[in-house]
Amino acid sequence: MNTRQLVTVFLLALFCFGMILLAGCARQEEEGNVIKIGVAGPMQFIHGQHHMLGAQMAADEINDAGGIKVGDDYYTIELVKIDTNELLSVDDASSAVEKAIAQDNIDLLVGTIRTEAAVAIQELMMDHQKIYITCGASFKEMADKVSQDYDRYKYWFRLTPLNGELLAKASLLLLQHVGQVMKDDYGIETPKVAVVCEEAAAGDTLAAVAQQVIPSFGMEVAGVWRPSPQATDMTAELAAIRDSGAQIIYTYLSSSGGVTYARQWGELKIPAASVGINVEAQSKGFIEATDNYGNYEFTLNTYAPVEITEKTIKWYEDFIAKAGEFPTYNAGTYDALYIYKEAVERAGTLDLDAVIEEMEKTRFTSACGIQAFDENHDVIWGPEYVTAVGTQWQDGELKCVWPYDWQGITYPGTVKYQLPPWVEEALQK
Amino acid sequence: MLANILVTTLVNAAAYAMLAVGFSLIFGVGRIINLAHTAYYMLAGFSIYTLVATAGCPAAPAVLLTIALITVIAVLCYKLLIDPMREHETTVLIITIALALVFQELMLKYFGGQFRSVPSLARGFFVILGVQVTRQHALTCMVLVLILGAVWLLLQKTRLGLAIRATAQDKEVANLMGMDVSRIAAITAAISAALAATAGALVAPLNILEPHMWLHPLTIILAIVVLGGLGSIKGSILGAVIIALSESLVIFLLPQGSFLKGAFSLLIMIIVLLIRPEGLFGVALEGER
Amino acid sequence: MIRDMMGRIYRNFKGEILVLPGRTLALLVGLAIFIAPLLTRDIYILRIITLTSIFAVFAASWDLLSGFVGQLNLGHALFFGVAAYTSAMLNLYLKLPPLLTIPLGAIAAVAAGLAIGIPCLRLKGQYLSLATLAFPIILKGVVYIFKQYTGGELGVSGISRLAGSRLAECYIALLLGVSLCLLIWKITDSKLGLIFHAIREDEIAARASGINTTAYKLLAFCLSGLFAGIAGGFYAHYMRLAGPSMLDVMLSFQAIIWTIFGGIATVYGAVTGVVILFPLMEVMRAFPEIRMLFFAVTIVIVLRFMPEGVAPWFLDRVEKECPRCKERNAFTRRNCRVCRTLLIAGKEVSAGTEGQTGHPTD
Repeated sequence: MNTRQLVTVFLLALFCFGMILLAGCARQEEEGNVIKIGVAGPMQFIHGQHHMLGAQMAADEINDAGGIKVGDDYYTIELVKIDTNELLSVDDASSAVEKAIAQDNIDLLVGTIRTEAAVAIQELMMDHQKIYITCGASFKEMADKVSQDYDRYKYWFRLTPLNGELLAKASLLLLQHVGQVMKDDYGIETPKVAVVCEEAAAGDTLAAVAQQVIPSFGMEVAGVWRPSPQATDMTAELAAIRDSGAQIIYTYLSSSGGVTYARQWGELKIPAASVGINVEAQSKGFIEATDNYGNYEFTLNTYAPVEITEKTIKWYEDFIAKAGEFPTYNAGTYDALYIYKEAVERAGTLDLDAVIEEMEKTRFTSACGIQAFDENHDVIWGPEYVTAVGTQWQDGELKCVWPYDWQGITYPGTVKYQLPPWVEEALQK
Repeated sequence: MLANILVTTLVNAAAYAMLAVGFSLIFGVGRIINLAHTAYYMLAGFSIYTLVATAGCPAAPAVLLTIALITVIAVLCYKLLIDPMREHETTVLIITIALALVFQELMLKYFGGQFRSVPSLARGFFVILGVQVTRQHALTCMVLVLILGAVWLLLQKTRLGLAIRATAQDKEVANLMGMDVSRIAAITAAISAALAATAGALVAPLNILEPHMWLHPLTIILAIVVLGGLGSIKGSILGAVIIALSESLVIFLLPQGSFLKGAFSLLIMIIVLLIRPEGLFGVALEGER
Repeated sequence: MIRDMMGRIYRNFKGEILVLPGRTLALLVGLAIFIAPLLTRDIYILRIITLTSIFAVFAASWDLLSGFVGQLNLGHALFFGVAAYTSAMLNLYLKLPPLLTIPLGAIAAVAAGLAIGIPCLRLKGQYLSLATLAFPIILKGVVYIFKQYTGGELGVSGISRLAGSRLAECYIALLLGVSLCLLIWKITDSKLGLIFHAIREDEIAARASGINTTAYKLLAFCLSGLFAGIAGGFYAHYMRLAGPSMLDVMLSFQAIIWTIFGGIATVYGAVTGVVILFPLMEVMRAFPEIRMLFFAVTIVIVLRFMPEGVAPWFLDRVEKECPRCKERNAFTRRNCRVCRTLLIAGKEVSAGTEGQTGHPTD
C-alpha cells in the first residue's frame, strides 16, 4: 500500500516538474535577422482566421521576395499566432498578448476585433512601447488618445475598419442613396426610417449620429430599437417596425443578430428596405445562413470584387481561393504588414521613432483604396482615400452597388441598387 | 400591438416550455441540476443541420434520428458520469457544466464558430389577428404543444408516469414501495434528453446555430423552472408563458431597451421567489435531507 | 530569550508542518512561488502568479459561503464585479488611491452580500442557488443602462496602477493572497466555522441548539462578499479595467469549478484548485485549439474519479487519521504522533475508518 502512495507522490511531483518544464520550454530564443509579428484574433472564428490569413499572405509574399530590407540587411518575417479568444473572454485576450510580448518577443502586433479587448491590448502595448496596428475594432476614442498623449500612444495605428464616426457617416450615405432611389422612382418625399442598432459601444455612436443626421436628409425617424448583439429572435422588433410604418430600416448589427434579423426580415417580407451595416452580410455563408432570405440586404463593406484600385480584383480572388470566404475588414492585416515593411524600408532602420515617423507619412495603395493616417494615427476616409463600399446581395451574389456616382466616383464593375420587390409593391400602393 | 404581444408570447413560450419541462423532470426525479440540458438542445440543432443541410436527409427521419441519437448520448453520459456521482451534489453540477463545455468545444472544432441555420420545413408566413407569423413558427408551436400534451398524458395516465411522479415526490417511500428508483431516474433522464433534443430539432430552424447557443437559453430555462417551482411540470409551462410574456412586453413597450429582456425576466423570477420561496407550484424542500 | 523563541518557532514548524506531507508540500509549492518572481524577469510569469493569488482568494471566499455554510451561490461573480466597478469608479471619478478604493470596493461587496442575502435567506437549497445566479446578470443589465458612468460594454478603464512595478504588484498580490487565504482558513477552523458546519449539516438541529442560523448565514454572505470583494478590487486595479465580463456567468462558474476540483469545504482545496488549474490553462495557451476542450475533459475525468476533489484525494493517500485522537499523521508512520496508538495498516480497515471520519458528502 505504501508503494502505491509513493507512486502517487512521485507522479504528482513529476506532473509539477512537467508543468514547470513546459512553461520554460514555451520560450525559445531565436536569433538571426527575424522580425516577429504577432497576429492577434479569435482564431476559432472567422475574424481571427482572416486576421491570420491576411497576415500570412503578406508575410509569404514579403519573405519570398527576400524579406524586409533594413539598411543593407534583409529581415524575414515570422508570424506569431495569438489566439485571444476575445469574443468570449476579454481577460484571455490581454493574457495571451502579454505572453506573446514576454515570451515570443514580438516586435509588432496586428489584429484584434472586439473593442473591449482592443482597448485593453492598446494599453498593454503602449506600456511595452511596441507598435500595434488595430485591424478590426472601430472604437473612435482609441484614436483620440494619440493626440491627447502623443508620447504614450504614438505606437498605435488603426487600419481597418473606419472609426465609428466615419462608419456612421459612410453608412448614412448608403441610407441617403436608398432614400434618393425612393424619391426618384416612387416620389416618396420624406421616407420614414426605423433605426435598429445593436446594444454595443459602436451601436451607441451609430444610433446617436443616425438620429441627428436622418432629419437633415429630409427623412423622418420612425423609432429606435436596440436588440442584443446575439439576439436569436427579432420577430417582435420587426413586427413593431412594420407597425411604425417605416419604409427604410437603418441597421447596425455586428454579430449573430444580423443573421437572425435578415432572415426574419426576408421571410416576413417587412415592407421596408434594409440598409446600413450588417457585418454578417459581408461573409459568403450569409445567404445559406439566412436560408436564402438574406437577398437585398445592403451593407457597408471594406472590400468588393470591383476595381477600387488596380490591386483589388486580383487580391480579392487570391484571398477567396485561399480562404473559401470573402475577405472581411479583418484581412486588413495584409496591408498592415506592407505598410510596416515600407515604413521600415524608408526609414532604413528598426529604430521605433524613425519607423513611426515614416508610418505617419504612409500613402499605400491597397485593395480597399489609398490608405493614409491622420494626426490621430487613424485611417482616413474620403473620395481620394479609402471610401468604403456598399454591397448588396442580389440573387444570391454579393454585388458592389455604392459608390454610385458619389463625388464623381463609381468603381468599374459597380451595379445599380435594387429595392426588394415586396418593398416596391408596398411603395406603389 | 396587443395581438402582437400575445402571438409572440405563445410562439416563444412553447419552445421555452419544451426545454423547461425536460429540465424540471430530471430535477424532480433525480434532484439533479443538469446544466448540460441546453447543450443537448445545441447538439440536436447541429445533428439536424448535418443530416438535412449537408447529407440531404428528408426532414422527418432526420428529426427522429436526431432525437434517438441525442437520447443515447444523454443516457450514456448519465450512466457513466452523473449517476455514480449523485451523492456529491456540487460535483454533479460541475460535471454537467464541464460536459456542456466539452460538447461546445467539440462542435466548435468540427463546425467552426460561424453562424449557420437549418433550412425551414415550411417557408413563408401567414397573418393571424393582423400579426405575421412564419409557417415554421406556427408548425413548431403546434408540434411542441402536441408533444407537451403527450408528456402530460404519459405522466398522468401510465404506470411509468405514476412511478416518475411518485419518485419525484418522495424517493425513499417510492423505494420502499418496491420501485427501482435508479432505473426510473435513468428513464427520466432519457425522457428529459429526448425533450431537449426535440426542442433542438424543432426550434433549430428558427434560430441561429452556433456552438455557444446553449448558454443563453440556459439562464432563461433556469429562471422559468425556478419561477414555476422546481420539479413541477405545470409550473414549468406557466413559467415559460410568464417569461415569454415579459420578454415580449419589454420589446414592444420599451423598444430602446430590448436588450434588457433577459435581465428583466430574471428580475421577475426574483420577485416571484421573494413572494413564494418555492416557486409557483414547487414542492417544499423543507425537511428533506 | 531570542534563542528560546527561535526554538519554539522551530519546534512548531517541525511539529506542525514538517510532520504532515500535505503541509510540507504546500509549504514547498508556496516557497517556490515566492521565489519564482525573483528568478525571472518575465512579466508573463509575474502575471500568472498575480492572477493566481487573486483568484485563490476569490475561490476560497466562495468555499466559505457555499462549501462551509452550504448556501450554494451560483452568482459569486456579483461580489467580484461590484467591488471591481466600485473601486474603478471611485478611482477614476474621485481620484482615490487604490489603498482606499480596494477596501471601499470590498465594503460595497459586503453591502451587496447583505442586499442579496436578506431576501435570499427565505429560499432553500436549489432555489437559493438559482436565484443567486440571476443577480450578476441583472446587475449587468444595470451596467448597460447607466453606460455614461460605467462605460457599458467597454467598462471603466484608465484607472491607476497598484504599484510602480510589476514585481511589486506581484508580491503585494502574493502576500495578500496568502494572508487572506490563511485568514479564511482560520475562520473556518474557529468556533464560527463549527457553527457554519452545523448549519450546513442540519439547519433545523442547529436552530434547535439555540444558534441564530439566519444571523450566521447573513454573516457568511458578508464575509464571503468581503473576501471576494477584495479580490475583485485588486483585480480591477491590476487589469486597470472593470468591465461587464467581471459579472459573467462563466466567472461565477469558474470559482465553483476551481473549488470543487480542488475539494469543497476545505479552503485549501479551493486554493489548490486555482494553483493547479489556472497556470495549467496558461501553459495550454501553447495549444489554443484544444485548450478549452482539455480543460473540460480534465474536469470531467478528474471529478469522475475523485468526486471529493484533488486535495482530499491526495491527502487521503499521504496522510492517515489516527482512529483514536483524530490527529493526522504522515503515511509513513506506524504509530500516531500524538497518542502513540498503532495506526492500522491494511486496506479494508482503513477504508472503514475513512467512511466514518472522511469528509461529509452531502
